[in-house]
Amino acid sequence: MNKVIITVLGKDRPGIISLISNILYELDCNLENANQMILQHQFAGFFIVDPPSNTDLENFSQTLQRKIKMSGLTVHVDTVKANTISKESIKGETFLITTIGPDQKGLVARFSKIISQHNANIENLKAVFKGGSDPTANIMSYQVFIAIDIDTGKLFDSLRQKAKELDLDIRIQHKNIFDAINKI
Amino acid sequence: MFEDHEIISTIEMVKNENLDVRAVTLGINLFDCISHDLKVFKNNIRKKIITHAENLVDVCDTVGEKYGIHVVNKRISISPIALVGGCFSSDQMVEIAHELNDIAKKVNIDFIGGFSALVEKGIAPGDQALIDALPRALSQTERVCASVNVATTRAGINMDAVLAMAKAIKKAAALTANEDGLACAKLCVFSNIPQDMPFMAGAYLGVGVADAVINVGVSGPGVVKRAIERNLEKNPDLNLGHIAEIIKKTACKVTRVGELIGREVAQNLNIQFGVVDLSLAPTPTVGDSIGEIFQALGLTNIGVPGSTAALAMLNDAVKKGGVFASSHVGGLSGAFIPVSEDLNIANAADKGFLSIEKLEAMTSVCSVGLDMVPIPGDITVECLAGIIADEMAIGMINSKTTATRLIPVPGKKAGDKVYFGGLLGEARIMNVPNSCLCDQFVKYGGQIPAPIHSMKN
Repeated sequence: MNKVIITVLGKDRPGIISLISNILYELDCNLENANQMILQHQFAGFFIVDPPSNTDLENFSQTLQRKIKMSGLTVHVDTVKANTISKESIKGETFLITTIGPDQKGLVARFSKIISQHNANIENLKAVFKGGSDPTANIMSYQVFIAIDIDTGKLFDSLRQKAKELDLDIRIQHKNIFDAINKI
Repeated sequence: MFEDHEIISTIEMVKNENLDVRAVTLGINLFDCISHDLKVFKNNIRKKIITHAENLVDVCDTVGEKYGIHVVNKRISISPIALVGGCFSSDQMVEIAHELNDIAKKVNIDFIGGFSALVEKGIAPGDQALIDALPRALSQTERVCASVNVATTRAGINMDAVLAMAKAIKKAAALTANEDGLACAKLCVFSNIPQDMPFMAGAYLGVGVADAVINVGVSGPGVVKRAIERNLEKNPDLNLGHIAEIIKKTACKVTRVGELIGREVAQNLNIQFGVVDLSLAPTPTVGDSIGEIFQALGLTNIGVPGSTAALAMLNDAVKKGGVFASSHVGGLSGAFIPVSEDLNIANAADKGFLSIEKLEAMTSVCSVGLDMVPIPGDITVECLAGIIADEMAIGMINSKTTATRLIPVPGKKAGDKVYFGGLLGEARIMNVPNSCLCDQFVKYGGQIPAPIHSMKN
């Protein structure tokens, strides 16, 4: 059987990682990769595991659902399809695109649409809070991988134009500047 | 992905704290341009400089845009003209200055440095020709910067050169009397001049370096000031040891930005990368000031008692942060205290907190010297030479760079307003006590011998 990706969602509380990892251990799965985040007290976790070779996905999923049911968490299981093109083989550069200004509906939708239209890939998106209650200090940060064949000039012009329309300050900076300042 | 505070602090540094790359300076060796024929020499330097520098501005802008960091000034430094043009007369030196000015316009840079001489242990004919040419060269051009090194720790102080420079400064001021002596803002007198400094007006390319090299000058007084303020707001109980640590860490970050940009510019131009000069260089903009750092450190103004200690701490922390960040730190790498270029320092002088004597004392612990100081136009040559000699002595004895960029403003006296414009700023003329004296000391000439600690071999 292929590797499996397990997505776990629910209200954050102590013991979630322990619960999931112990169930996977009982099921004789090797936990290969995991990531988690907490957004406004909601837990979201992703686990890529290598199950025993004779595992049936349907049975595996049901077993997992049953074991986790009492915890109030939601679980989704799917197989990981082999990626024929590794990310490392695509040449390109990563930029951080940051918009600063008043929060408004459709902000992410409008910027992500432009990024998508230019075939660039959003690798990470986060709302950054400066603290305090300043309504103008809403910061959205998109970490975007831009392949070498994408016209960055056109993409950046479109993003700047949209920011101007929405009265937002936009900063487009290569990721390395953040590394240089913050990662020693 | 980065943490929230990493994203916010990086953006704040650029957006609100004036973090920028103050200067990318392309150093060009002109020794292979030497000719006894002035026309050939001028053609050679034109061809070589333009070949290397024609894409400098575009590349700097492109790299700056990629990282969201503005490269404010793109400049060129060259081999000392007194060496590569050593066979020419002073009139011919003036012609060379015009040629350099024209080349600077052609490649769209604001300053070209290296109209320079190294005379710490004697004045050769080429050096004398250049010194004689300085007043005309600097008053007839806009973009040429000049420097003359009159002292080193290893050689002592050439007092003949000190007096000659005082005379040259007075003449240069007189020739630009209608611009408040502006020519003198492009002329530095040095002790222990660094050969890889990217900052004007003292930048030149030394003789022991590559054919072409990119040196980067980063600034960031606003970033340092805000870092101090932010941390003190969070924890008012910080002591000076803690604050020095904050300055050091901030300087480290700023240096890394400079090296990142400098290396990419150098790579794109296919030119060797030289050094990052992390100097806290101010501009006349509020929030981009060294003087404001003193206030963040709890002093009423730069110049009050405690200022020398604060500057010593600041300069040292900046150097330590820079050295940790990069193995290729050079130039001056410390704190500048130019009077007219820093609105806060100019105001401190105006209000009487900062005197020229205190300024001189402070230069014993920082990177430069009496920088961009407007002084009364009627100061005697002897008094001016005395001030220069004092400053050179501080550099010589302390094995550090010191310099003077003094502007005796014709027709104006202490307290009068002068305006140089742009980054050169504006200020009121500082009072110089005893400026009418014509003491014999500087007229004896000769060499003040090197100090005992120069004997290191």
